[in-house]
Amino acid sequence: MVQKRIYQRRDLIRLGLLGGAGVGAGIALPQLVRYFQAQSIDIPTTTDAPPISGMNPMTILRDFDRGTVKQENGRTVREFRIEATTSTLQLNSAVNFVSWNFNGRVPGPTIRVNAGDRVRVIFLNRGGHAHSMHFHGVHAAAMDGIRPIRNGTATIYEFDAEPYGMHVYHCHVSPVARHIGKGLYGAFIIDPPGGRPPADEMVMVMGGFDINEDGKNELYAFNGIPNYYLEHPIRIRQNQLVRLYLLNMVELDPVLTFHLHANIFRLFRTGRSLQPDEESDVVTMGTAERHILEFSYALLGRYMFHPHQDVIAEKGCMGHFDVVDSTGRTGDAGSHAH
Amino acid sequence: MGFSSVRQRLFILPALLLSLGLLAGCSGQGAQTPATATSSPGTRKININSAILSELDKIEGQIGIPSLSNRIQAARPYASPEELVSKKILTQEQFDRVKDQVSVEDVELVGEAKDIDFMTKLGLMRGHLLVAKEWLDRKQPTLALPHIGHPIEEIYVDLEGQLDERKVKPFKAALQKLQVQAQFSANSPELTTTYAEAIQGIDSAMATLPNTQRKDPRFILGVISEMLDAAGTEYGAAISNGKVSARIEYEDSRGFVLYAQQLFAEIAPILIKSDAPRVKAIRESLNKLQTAWPAIEAPATPVMSVDQVRTAIKSVELTGQKVASF
Repeated sequence: MVQKRIYQRRDLIRLGLLGGAGVGAGIALPQLVRYFQAQSIDIPTTTDAPPISGMNPMTILRDFDRGTVKQENGRTVREFRIEATTSTLQLNSAVNFVSWNFNGRVPGPTIRVNAGDRVRVIFLNRGGHAHSMHFHGVHAAAMDGIRPIRNGTATIYEFDAEPYGMHVYHCHVSPVARHIGKGLYGAFIIDPPGGRPPADEMVMVMGGFDINEDGKNELYAFNGIPNYYLEHPIRIRQNQLVRLYLLNMVELDPVLTFHLHANIFRLFRTGRSLQPDEESDVVTMGTAERHILEFSYALLGRYMFHPHQDVIAEKGCMGHFDVVDSTGRTGDAGSHAH
Repeated sequence: MGFSSVRQRLFILPALLLSLGLLAGCSGQGAQTPATATSSPGTRKININSAILSELDKIEGQIGIPSLSNRIQAARPYASPEELVSKKILTQEQFDRVKDQVSVEDVELVGEAKDIDFMTKLGLMRGHLLVAKEWLDRKQPTLALPHIGHPIEEIYVDLEGQLDERKVKPFKAALQKLQVQAQFSANSPELTTTYAEAIQGIDSAMATLPNTQRKDPRFILGVISEMLDAAGTEYGAAISNGKVSARIEYEDSRGFVLYAQQLFAEIAPILIKSDAPRVKAIRESLNKLQTAWPAIEAPATPVMSVDQVRTAIKSVELTGQKVASF
């Protein structure tokens, strides 16, 4: 109840309908509390997580692009520059895949804004083919990103970020499955007014690669490179809240699940609520479906995550969390259990 | 309960602001929005983010910097026209001379630029279908399919809006029929007829342009420039690590150059009367360029590097521009 009242006030302030020191003081305290809480989030350092083909999935994991902030006519505008390009991804020691992508990486940049911000995306297509950027969320038809943007040309997408949640953007030029399968997608996060509680936040996008263009995926990955987090586990702190922004962008397979080992996560469907919708250790996701998952591990050790379509998991869509204590040790799985 | 109703009302305001903003600030965002269609032709601006070369040439002509159009194109994207200055394409003084004519809003093309763009898109379709035919003739309909699909999926959608005003008979159905037959009944003798119908559809769309344009070397050279530009970028996308790694893009670029050759063959007899040396120069450049695509089957190692292809394309464009200036 208290929380809800704060959000109302924030909406009013955001719109410039309320002002004055009294109200300002009213919201200063929770902001301050949140600030200090955020300072307390302690992300373990990771060594030995090398880049592959010029992109690093370990960096992509916690990399949120909040754009260049401008104030125009009393409004916050977040400006992003996105370029469609082609680049070769070394998916494994034998497979080089010509990807079509945004800003040289698969998935594209994680675009993150606050509800109500004005979003301006300056999109340049240097990808050879016609491409576009279609954002999920609410916007005018003219901003829907269906119109192909010719190679060598640019366009500007501009809209208000609504509603808050975990969204997605992708190229919408036909055949869409090929354009997405080549890598033209990314996460689009709209934070709720007032934000979410502090956590170790990360983004994972599940993707599929049809390397021989036979209409079937031969390889899969979390964040672009098959098996990257299997070989380079994601280190997380014991008992610290993890907030996972999870997106399924696998084309050609109708549905995947996401399964987290030895834990139960809280699920916020499409990130559209501040209270969890349910708890589980498996969630089923169709293509372009996305959710926010929250969890923490009490016990040190190494834990897997993967779709429970195990054939898919074993073609590159698997990863590990290493749960470490405050000194950075995973301990022996089990012996630290208490 | 009271909470939700307050929120609903609060959300109306941003929606209103958005719609006002759309009308006032960035109406051009939608070439689709009727608001943009109301400005009179005389005040139409050139969108520096999307204009084709021949349209940018108007700016180049006024400022008098050689190949300014290419430099404007290469420095995309622009968040605002002023970035022409901050990106050092123009000086402030030069920018002030043309600032009323440039924009980053999606403005519909008009006049000759619109016609060149229209003809180019039809030409790209013809290029796609040329290579599709090569695969169909080799009894490889699966390999032909992407080239039948692209005209429908990437290009037709861009033209659809102007078919009515140009009194073009819609020909999407003919393209789709070809696509379906290539996919499901490629062995049927009917495929040859269907292919001819698709070509006929594209050609009759081209025929709605007046003869004065279609026989005008200057106009056709503009189209050839755009087609080769597309071929150059497709070729760039096809080559990586010194190999032809993307077959479809290699074939796309082959088709575009083949059709550019056909276009040139049609105007050369006209142009040769007034400018024989330049006809010879363009023909030589085109022939040299053509060697990059020895066959529909991509060579194991590229015959020409991406840079060599771009240089040859540039040489055709520059000679073409000199013809245009007469």
